[in-house]
Amino acid sequence: MTRDDWYRHDRLPHIYCSGCGNGSIINCVLEAVSDIGWNIDETVFISGIGCSSRAPGYIQTDSLHTTHGRAIAFATGVKLANPDLHIVIFTGDGDLGAIGGNHFIHACRRNIDLTVICINNYIYGMTGGQGSPLTPYGKKSTTTPYGACEMPFDLCNLAVAAGANYVSRWTSYHVTELTKAVTAGLLTEGFSFIEVISQCPTSYGRRNSLREVSDQILYLKNNAVLHQRWKRMQEKGEDLSSDQFVVGEFIRQSRPSMGVSR
Amino acid sequence: MMKLFIDETRCKGCNICTMVCPYSIFTPGDTPNRRGIYVPVLDRPERCTNCRLTYLYGRQLCGVCSMICPDQAISWIADEPYSARCVVIEY
Repeated sequence: MTRDDWYRHDRLPHIYCSGCGNGSIINCVLEAVSDIGWNIDETVFISGIGCSSRAPGYIQTDSLHTTHGRAIAFATGVKLANPDLHIVIFTGDGDLGAIGGNHFIHACRRNIDLTVICINNYIYGMTGGQGSPLTPYGKKSTTTPYGACEMPFDLCNLAVAAGANYVSRWTSYHVTELTKAVTAGLLTEGFSFIEVISQCPTSYGRRNSLREVSDQILYLKNNAVLHQRWKRMQEKGEDLSSDQFVVGEFIRQSRPSMGVSR
Repeated sequence: MMKLFIDETRCKGCNICTMVCPYSIFTPGDTPNRRGIYVPVLDRPERCTNCRLTYLYGRQLCGVCSMICPDQAISWIADEPYSARCVVIEY
């Protein structure tokens, strides 16, 4: 079974803008799922509200398109009702970081056997580019026209602190690494969290002098710092510049998890 | 042999494929199609690693263009082997 069999070809082409990274991320997740060899009938994709959360609509499996920020709450119910199902959650930065923040940290704490793919495009893309809790300091959006004056969340460190079993961050440019990370996350028992930084040329890029898709892809490529390199930089006392972000695997552990079928 | 194929009904002309191919097979298109989209054109696609070697290795090779294409427009279709080209040497 290949990636193509998981798509609903009658719904394609999707409604995402030209150059949006969400399509690449769906490719990677479906590649990982079909590599593992899960059954379409035993996999459920769940999403909240937002651009990223339209993804399950293009996938053949059963899916739930839930209320804003409550994707993890719905997924917990599905998993505990039937622990044999494999559950993947698509969610966005505004969905998970802002309105669903408490669901997220408590799902990490309980360590429920879910896989969360958080597509971080730095803004609320669907509603017109408002600033989200993950908008980097000094970057412009509709609601922060002079540059964001608040510091952003770091969802990966939050997930590590709250006790998730697998945490990693990649970008929509690093497709091979992202596929491997999603595969590792899907196979990990317990809560696995993968943050994917994605380009949004329509709402984020054009307000932050990254007008072309290629500019934003190069931005992701040049500013990603591997986790190992970041550790070495910390030992030397160096700091990341304001544009740089850490990518790689943050943690992989085996705390006792909940909702795993015995 | 396999052949690279761009589905024009899905491509939105974002040109990400032109950035990632290690052989620079995809080049930005210059004429709009019926939907007004500049679909990339293929420059000597027989150089593609997956086209040449996928049957030899029995698995998918490279495949970054197909994976990163946000619109699921790039795929491979089975094709006849490329015929050897006659090279004319001019003295």
